[in-house]
Amino acid sequence: MTDRIKEQLSTFLDGELPEPETALLLKRLERDDELRGALSRYSLIGAVLRGDGDVPAARQVAARVSAAIAREPVRVASLLRVRGRAALLRSAAGLAVAAGVAFGAVSLVQQVGTPPPVAAEAIIAQAAEPPIVPVSDFAEPDDAPVSSYVTPPAADAPGGLPQAELANYLVAHYGYASPLVRRSVGAGLISASTDATLAEGTGEETRISQ
Amino acid sequence: MVLALWLAAAPVVADSGEEWLKRMGDALNNASYVGEFITESTGRTERLSIIHRVRDGVVSERLVSLSGNGRELVRENDEVVVYLPDQRLAIIERRSGRSDLMGALPQFEGEMASWYKIDYVGREATIFGPTAVVAVRPLDGYRFGYRLWIDVDSHMPVRSDLSDAAGRVVERLRFTRLEFDSNITDSAFEPSLDRSKLRWVRQSPQAEDESPAWRAARVPPGFRLSVSGMQAVAGTSAPVSHLVYSDGLASVSVFIRAPTPGKAPIQGSGRSGVASAFSTVVEGHQVTVVGEVPPRTLKLIATGLRPAPVVAPPAPTAARDRGN
Repeated sequence: MTDRIKEQLSTFLDGELPEPETALLLKRLERDDELRGALSRYSLIGAVLRGDGDVPAARQVAARVSAAIAREPVRVASLLRVRGRAALLRSAAGLAVAAGVAFGAVSLVQQVGTPPPVAAEAIIAQAAEPPIVPVSDFAEPDDAPVSSYVTPPAADAPGGLPQAELANYLVAHYGYASPLVRRSVGAGLISASTDATLAEGTGEETRISQ
Repeated sequence: MVLALWLAAAPVVADSGEEWLKRMGDALNNASYVGEFITESTGRTERLSIIHRVRDGVVSERLVSLSGNGRELVRENDEVVVYLPDQRLAIIERRSGRSDLMGALPQFEGEMASWYKIDYVGREATIFGPTAVVAVRPLDGYRFGYRLWIDVDSHMPVRSDLSDAAGRVVERLRFTRLEFDSNITDSAFEPSLDRSKLRWVRQSPQAEDESPAWRAARVPPGFRLSVSGMQAVAGTSAPVSHLVYSDGLASVSVFIRAPTPGKAPIQGSGRSGVASAFSTVVEGHQVTVVGEVPPRTLKLIATGLRPAPVVAPPAPTAARDRGN
């Protein structure tokens, strides 16, 4: 990591890095483990030096990252134009990484800056997030314990359910989904990977002039 | 002495998992807010913005994909419109009080306690401030569990992890921005696209007196038939039978349609976010089952469908495995 990057990181933590450079720094954070580690360390050092017990300071860092992410649609749109969908997906994944850095910074600072938890209340270690695993397959016999999970075949794969048909059924199911996952079902419906072109014929179709 | 006992007991009551879920349910039913969130599952990360308003008992919500495809989902009470401008398509789903769109979270007591265990895990700091973490653990392999981070001030869930029976996370949703606003205007729910260029397709339930003559002969423990009707579905030329089975929290939709002449039946699976799907052929009919449950649940229900009404027997003992 060069001195210039270190300087950029420090300026970012101070909230003084210009927006174009912030965007570049976030891109670098997506792929640079060392830089992400440095971000956590620097924010922790800053918190300790200020001696203010510093969850609020860490939140400011997290808020800064979140604010930068909130400005990203413009960059994402331009990425879509010039680099296509694959680049877009990489970018979106990277943004999640950047958000994760912010959460991690909060966690580290909390360990130093907050008093020991009261006995009656468990405080969870936030930095160690469990990995996300694929959903199970259909291969297990019905009466077998669920022991392992494998990603099901991608839709539209040979023998698979066409995405268009799946999307149409999901729209019909949306109203019955659990309140705890309804937004995830909605997110799946309008995600970039869902193709809802009509599979065959039409349902009750109405053309509306606005 | 009495006071000391009360003080000792109070935090336990206040921080019970059930109590936090109730507070969260109230917040979900009453709060108006704007925000952004990220959903993550294997191979997929989606960013969305959300506008949610509750006014005079009317719930309005708008989800917008921030992936650059311009897709939106707009809901007002029982009507849902999915805008897919990249495909010049809008799908309207309108119901008449049969859906659970206005439904509150269930009470996790009584029989529900046989399928889910609620635990208050502790407090955790997030970018929004301190949260109460509550785990909703499935007690078998036929349903998913949840870990919820509930903001202690607003009682809103700012993060949720969906997990399997072994506790492994299969999807994560977390807010990156959340602001409460009691003055959201109607214009905030107008989609940002030219609606005159879209083909509109309406998917609606058919007359109430039409009822499909299909039932699942076997279902996982706790699942019961909650809805039965005929449904127009985009992409099909005739109404399909639609059954909904639910354990009170998770739900499964079953669609049965007559075979399409000249088209090979579909036998396979699919997935969209947290929802999985399984298609097969039963008695010459195309059966597709979708839901936010483990795929084995879908398969169990789909392969047990029968064209004549049957009474579901008691839960099979084999289905009572703990699935860990």
